[in-house]
Amino acid sequence: MSETYAIEMLGITKKFGNILANDHINIRLKKGHILALCGENGAGKSTIMSILFGLFQPDEGVIKKEGVEVKIQNPNDATKLNIGMVHQHFKLVDSFSVLQNIILGDETLKEYQDKPNIFQKAFNFLNKHIFKIIDVKKAREEVNKIIEQYDLQVDLDKKVKDISVEMQQKVEIIKMLYRHNEILIFDEPTAVLTEQEIQDFLTVLTHLKEEGKSIIFISHKLNEVFQVSDEITVIRKGQYIDTLKTSETTKEEVSSLMVGRKVEFISEKEKKTPQEEVLRVEHLSIIDPSSKKKVVNDVSFNVRKGEIVTLAGIDGNGQQEVIYGITGLMKMHSGSITLEGKDISTLSIRERIKAGISHIPEDRHKHGLVLDYSIYENSILDRYFEKDYSQHLFLKDKNITKYGDELIKKYDIRSSGDGNTLVRGMSGGNQQKIILGREIERNQDLLIAVQPTRGLDIGAIEGIHELLLKQRENNKAILLVSLELDQVFSLSDRILVMYEGEIVGEFDPHEVDRETLGLYMSGARKDQVNAIKENKHE
Amino acid sequence: MNKIKTFFSTLLKKEGTKTVITSLWCALLGLILGFLLLLFINAKEAAYGMTSVLGNYLIFSNPQDRLNYFGQTLAKTAPLIAMSLSILVCYKVGLFNIGGSGQYSIAVIVITFLGIGANMPWYLTMIVAMIASMLWAMITGALKAFFNVNEVISGIMLNWIALYITNGILSTNSIVWDSAHSEAFTISTTSNAYIPSIGLDKLFANNSIVGLGMILVLVVVVIIFILFKKTTIGYELKTTGLNSDAASYAGMNKVKNILIATAISGALAGLAASLNLQNGFTSWRLSSTPVDIGFQGISSAFLGGLHPIGVIFSSYFIVHISEGGSMITDLGFSPEVASIMTSLIIYLSGFVFFIKELLRRHEIKLEFAKATRGKEG
Repeated sequence: MSETYAIEMLGITKKFGNILANDHINIRLKKGHILALCGENGAGKSTIMSILFGLFQPDEGVIKKEGVEVKIQNPNDATKLNIGMVHQHFKLVDSFSVLQNIILGDETLKEYQDKPNIFQKAFNFLNKHIFKIIDVKKAREEVNKIIEQYDLQVDLDKKVKDISVEMQQKVEIIKMLYRHNEILIFDEPTAVLTEQEIQDFLTVLTHLKEEGKSIIFISHKLNEVFQVSDEITVIRKGQYIDTLKTSETTKEEVSSLMVGRKVEFISEKEKKTPQEEVLRVEHLSIIDPSSKKKVVNDVSFNVRKGEIVTLAGIDGNGQQEVIYGITGLMKMHSGSITLEGKDISTLSIRERIKAGISHIPEDRHKHGLVLDYSIYENSILDRYFEKDYSQHLFLKDKNITKYGDELIKKYDIRSSGDGNTLVRGMSGGNQQKIILGREIERNQDLLIAVQPTRGLDIGAIEGIHELLLKQRENNKAILLVSLELDQVFSLSDRILVMYEGEIVGEFDPHEVDRETLGLYMSGARKDQVNAIKENKHE
Repeated sequence: MNKIKTFFSTLLKKEGTKTVITSLWCALLGLILGFLLLLFINAKEAAYGMTSVLGNYLIFSNPQDRLNYFGQTLAKTAPLIAMSLSILVCYKVGLFNIGGSGQYSIAVIVITFLGIGANMPWYLTMIVAMIASMLWAMITGALKAFFNVNEVISGIMLNWIALYITNGILSTNSIVWDSAHSEAFTISTTSNAYIPSIGLDKLFANNSIVGLGMILVLVVVVIIFILFKKTTIGYELKTTGLNSDAASYAGMNKVKNILIATAISGALAGLAASLNLQNGFTSWRLSSTPVDIGFQGISSAFLGGLHPIGVIFSSYFIVHISEGGSMITDLGFSPEVASIMTSLIIYLSGFVFFIKELLRRHEIKLEFAKATRGKEG
């Protein structure tokens, strides 16, 4: 007797250009079970779920619902098959009430039901096709029934913008239930929640399961995964790795499957003894202005000349905010930042740039470049005020052009034309080279690089790694933020793991393995904060 | 042959060429719709009406008349250029200056009192007027910079406030108010506040409203051009407008940049008022709506592709057809038809960016099609 699967995705392959996002991935969700989908950033989790939800079409493979093959061309098809999804970023209308959001797109219309006479029939017809008057009372009753059945307390009349993130998530869940969805997909649902809220959420998940719903739960936080899931499917770099029964496996095993056991190529780098300290961060805390959540909590570390210190961790654990705090893009709540012995905590962004911070930002389109500027104009973005490039309010065009041409030559920046080409039309790799060149040429003691290889292909990645290692040779202090373990291992001299805004471990890359690092990153070992023994580097 | 072809295709790919082409398209579209409107109202006279709109001063047979009205069109273009620049400067930092009318009317108060009441020299009157409208514009700037109040909302409100302040102050002061005509006195050619003609009137059949103003405004165009092309201030303003996140990454002060931009644009709106009033052509009339020029400036700035040089031509075009439009009333069209038609043309001109966006999408589609075909092949 075969078990019934709520949904099966067999041999799904999806290519974007030359990149294989999903390579023959199998996902089998049993009815009434919770399946956890685990993998590193960029492993292809979101892609496969987008395929299930009809946002992408697979190049190969079949999807079966309860054993019958189905085609899902768009999200409407998915909805018809009773598949619902809560995206990482909620899809709610801020200025609508909770109730309006829930019924939006699937409104309950006014209808005469028991034995309608001819006029009522006519009204029913017209209302269904033309007037579309909503039966708010009935809709509210239906929603209330769901709220009671699943114990999801929310205030239906509040506007979405006035309720907390946790409540918004509940609204998303009710939305799916209101549409009678049987298969529920959650894309990293706990990323936005606090510890207590996560526990409540997991209770809700269990509850949904007891009511017979089948759930796919995307997460890389292993504690949660082990708490609620029945099976775990692991994917890595677009490849299907394995599906395990949660009761028969361990966090260590899943973690090592996620990161891969094979030893990756580690760049040859000469041994160097780090020298004097360039950056010191002490007890840094940052509160996110919109969510009021403490996104960085009492973080302290230092970076010295001639070493690469990496802030490793899963995306959204406060690494980005630490950098914002250092560069001044985000206001510090408490703590201090010292650059070469000088306290820069109260300085403006410009003053910090002048004090000696080079910053390769995470989002090159948002912060790093002005897309409608030429290469020349972008090459002086954070140094146009220097004497070489301007005097008495006037830009020195000649010098700027000369400098831009130097960058283009030295960093092999390719575009369809010369330095006057607009950056918007260039490839990501070449755009990144402009930023890299600009920041490295500023020749400051501290270089901050946040995901410098994000979205680039292998060739470009290697080039950028070489550049960073060369800066290390030149005795620069480098602070790197990376989500990719390969990168973390091949570049770092010291690894700091961040989880939920705190540094939960400090490691020497030669003395730690991927599995341990993976466990720390997923918060499984957050109770045992690790630190390299102080005397080692003194 | 091939060389010419590649020359044209690279020329067509240039951003500037695209703007010029789309601007011409918009102007043409406006003219066609305007013509259809005339046809609809009075088919018999439509063709002639259209000729006079397009011809403006050219329809006069007497060359002296032609020159005279040509001079008048030019003199009226000057203030519109100043106003377009005011819109343009704000737009560069990503602000939409809809408050040009209000800034203009504040300058009118100053000009009327200093020019007529105190008989001050023209340059002093002009400078003080520019400072006054600059300060007025900075209210919007400060609200935006410090409290993030939408500049469109505050601009519109300040337009009305300025309108009633101007109406109220001027109409209750008998020194400057000509109650017989219910308008302020006009600055006369002999007044100190009159912008000197420096002999230019001789070139235009002794039309004395042609004068230094036109030259001044061209100088301002060059200054604004240099500001954005060559200076650090211009670079900062543009960066803030194009990508304010990148601007803060580079340590630029957004508050400062918004204040600078609104200040410059306010001063330019003041200049527009000064050029309009200090050549003895017009004065303040009691009005129940904010003055037109503030809105015409928006159309003109967009039609000019938001380029300082471009607005010279777009402003001229707009004034040219408005002047031409005022002549078609003689052909049996009501004056409203003239203004509906000209405003139709003017506001369609504002569609430049819409059409540009359409073109861009079309281009992307073509490139995409090319790329996918290349892969399969």
